[in-house]
Amino acid sequence: MEILGYITLTIFLGLMLLTLFGYIRTPVQTVLVFSTLLCLIVGAGFRYAYSGWEAVMLMPNEFLGGIILHPITALLTGLFLAGGLKASGGFEALKVLLQYLRRSPIGLVGTLVILINLPVISSLPCGRILAAALLPLLFTFGFEGGLGILTRTQLIVLIGAFTRNAMGSCGPSPIGGVGQIGEGFLGSFFATASEGILRAPQAFSLMLGTAIVALFLKFVSQRLYPDDVALRDAPLTAVSAGKEPEIDAPLEGYLALVIFVASLLTAIFQPFGKMPVQSVLVVGALLMIVVCRIRLTDLMEGIILLPVTAMAAGFLAAGALAATGGFDALGVILNSLVAVPFLGVAGMLAIFVQFQTILPLSCARILTAALVPVLYLFGPAKFGFLDWPQLAIVMAAYIINATTSCGPSPLGGGGMMGEGTMRAETGFIKGAYTFASMAIMAPLAAIYMKFLNLSVFDPSNENFVRDIVTIAEFALVIAVVNIAFILYGSRLFGTDTSRNFLIQLVGFLLAGALSGGILAFALFEQNTSAILQGIAGGLIAALLIALMVPRTLSRRMTATLSGPEI
Amino acid sequence: MADKDNPDTTKHKRDDTTQPMVLPGIHRYQFFTNLKDRGWTRNLDRVALFGIVGALLATVVKPVLRGNAATIYCYECRACYATQDRCPVGIAFQAELAVAGRVGDYDRFIRNGGLKCIRCGNCQSYCVQYLPLPEMFGTMQQDTREAMAKGIIPRSSLDKGLAEGLIGKEFIDDVVKALSRS
Repeated sequence: MEILGYITLTIFLGLMLLTLFGYIRTPVQTVLVFSTLLCLIVGAGFRYAYSGWEAVMLMPNEFLGGIILHPITALLTGLFLAGGLKASGGFEALKVLLQYLRRSPIGLVGTLVILINLPVISSLPCGRILAAALLPLLFTFGFEGGLGILTRTQLIVLIGAFTRNAMGSCGPSPIGGVGQIGEGFLGSFFATASEGILRAPQAFSLMLGTAIVALFLKFVSQRLYPDDVALRDAPLTAVSAGKEPEIDAPLEGYLALVIFVASLLTAIFQPFGKMPVQSVLVVGALLMIVVCRIRLTDLMEGIILLPVTAMAAGFLAAGALAATGGFDALGVILNSLVAVPFLGVAGMLAIFVQFQTILPLSCARILTAALVPVLYLFGPAKFGFLDWPQLAIVMAAYIINATTSCGPSPLGGGGMMGEGTMRAETGFIKGAYTFASMAIMAPLAAIYMKFLNLSVFDPSNENFVRDIVTIAEFALVIAVVNIAFILYGSRLFGTDTSRNFLIQLVGFLLAGALSGGILAFALFEQNTSAILQGIAGGLIAALLIALMVPRTLSRRMTATLSGPEI
Repeated sequence: MADKDNPDTTKHKRDDTTQPMVLPGIHRYQFFTNLKDRGWTRNLDRVALFGIVGALLATVVKPVLRGNAATIYCYECRACYATQDRCPVGIAFQAELAVAGRVGDYDRFIRNGGLKCIRCGNCQSYCVQYLPLPEMFGTMQQDTREAMAKGIIPRSSLDKGLAEGLIGKEFIDDVVKALSRS
């Protein structure tokens, strides 16, 4: 029966790669359902041969078990609320409030920084909820959106950074976020893990990673794909200094905004006792109907079906893989990497933590739910490669990498919402997002977990200051080195796209090596061979990630921009 | 427009130079932006979408009809794993039992020790939503008992459960009867 797992894993990976590279030209949902069917048919054949007809009849129950309802229903209810906010003029109210904030001492820049980090501050179970609500608002900051406060370049950076932050905020969410899957497994040893052992490392690395994404988008992506964003700057004749359009918001808008914020706060802090986030958001939406006099249709207009269906289809495919032993086969393959001399445990883990960025799917939960148990088995529970603290360190690095993987996914990932908002071709943000996940977030989360979350710290403990300083040093080194890669690398770009791609590839490799080395250091400290193995693993992961970054985007966009249509 | 003029272009879309290049010589198809190229799979897409919606509906409706609606609300966050040795019968993965109860996956339920659960409720205190885990597991235990009586649980699952000590004493008779019938 073991061979069945390898067959179904090959079917799944093969179909995904064929879709990514364009050999299969259908929406990802169709491919995933097709993959599910194929796996089930093959699995049914094997089961009939080995266990009889009863085992075949139970297969539908098993693959349906792959569906995780929580993110799907949470996303739907969140989108309901966003639809209500839009219909009642809540965004206009938010614009007015932002104008007040801009005139405060924190100014425009401070306001934008708060906006960008709003997803991680609110930490909802799916980043798309807030992204669907706020991306249209961010668009209004540009010339085409009406406010004209930001230039085209600034708007690209703003939207890209915000979307990055959003499509990772599901990780530290305390109301059913992806990180809770890892926390649950760590709870087998750390009794209070489910109270948020992974939350701080994720939030910390996500904030710094967001900043690096902003830099990457400004200095690399816009130079690599200069003509692939259709946003326009204000024409010079339209610039009138000191003039800003007056924004009026209806009273219903303010009320809707209050209900929206109150619903989010209630869902997060649960002041009225434990209740599902979905119930809170639906009550919020009903309140909007009553108080703000919006229609049910307005709420339904907020629903974006693509992520919902892509997520559900992904869960089905994952369920079929689990039912047929595909993930067990993947675990065996990863386990066998340990025997490769130049990889060892450190190298294998350096690849493992980047796995979801290598194969980004539309929702991080699809693979996370399957791979976290594999990671758990690497610990004392089975293989014993890692002790519990080491497992927690790898888990922190893996989870942040996984939760951010829906951002760069071209298979209906959340980053596509940002690309759509900035009128960019699919793939524009992929380099920035994958670079930040690989080079910044994973090693930072590991370091944070090692030196702060796993240490006993209190103000009177001298370790507290020492550990804070250590984290600051690592964060500084990781940030400075990667900023240097971005700044100096971007200066080497020319007009030759092949050369530019090569330069980017080298940058990814260097950053990947650094990331793998730091992860190995966090796990095995000053073990030189482990660090070298980590570097080797990091290089392999970085190579795979970099090769998936588009070399050029569509020339059709260029033609559209320079054509008679505009 | 270009495809209307030359319908053959869709046959080798990967060679289309207007597509983004991900590797030297390989262009990636922009399936989300080039909607016109979905034409040849339109019916396939519709069938797939019905499949997805059907599966989602089944996942929600099935537990409601089986009287185990609380399983729908499980976050699958696995906070219940912190129960550890506070579980008197040593069940390690409680969330697996909740998911098995939702979809009626008897093999998963037995494999993870669902039939040895004594419904003490210790794991419930670790649930971030305080879901009624003992009731959820109890309902699934009854479903499994009925399924055993009907003979729809594969012999291999029951054999393995017995061999690994995963069957509680209140279900031993049912398992033995089911095995003797099969």
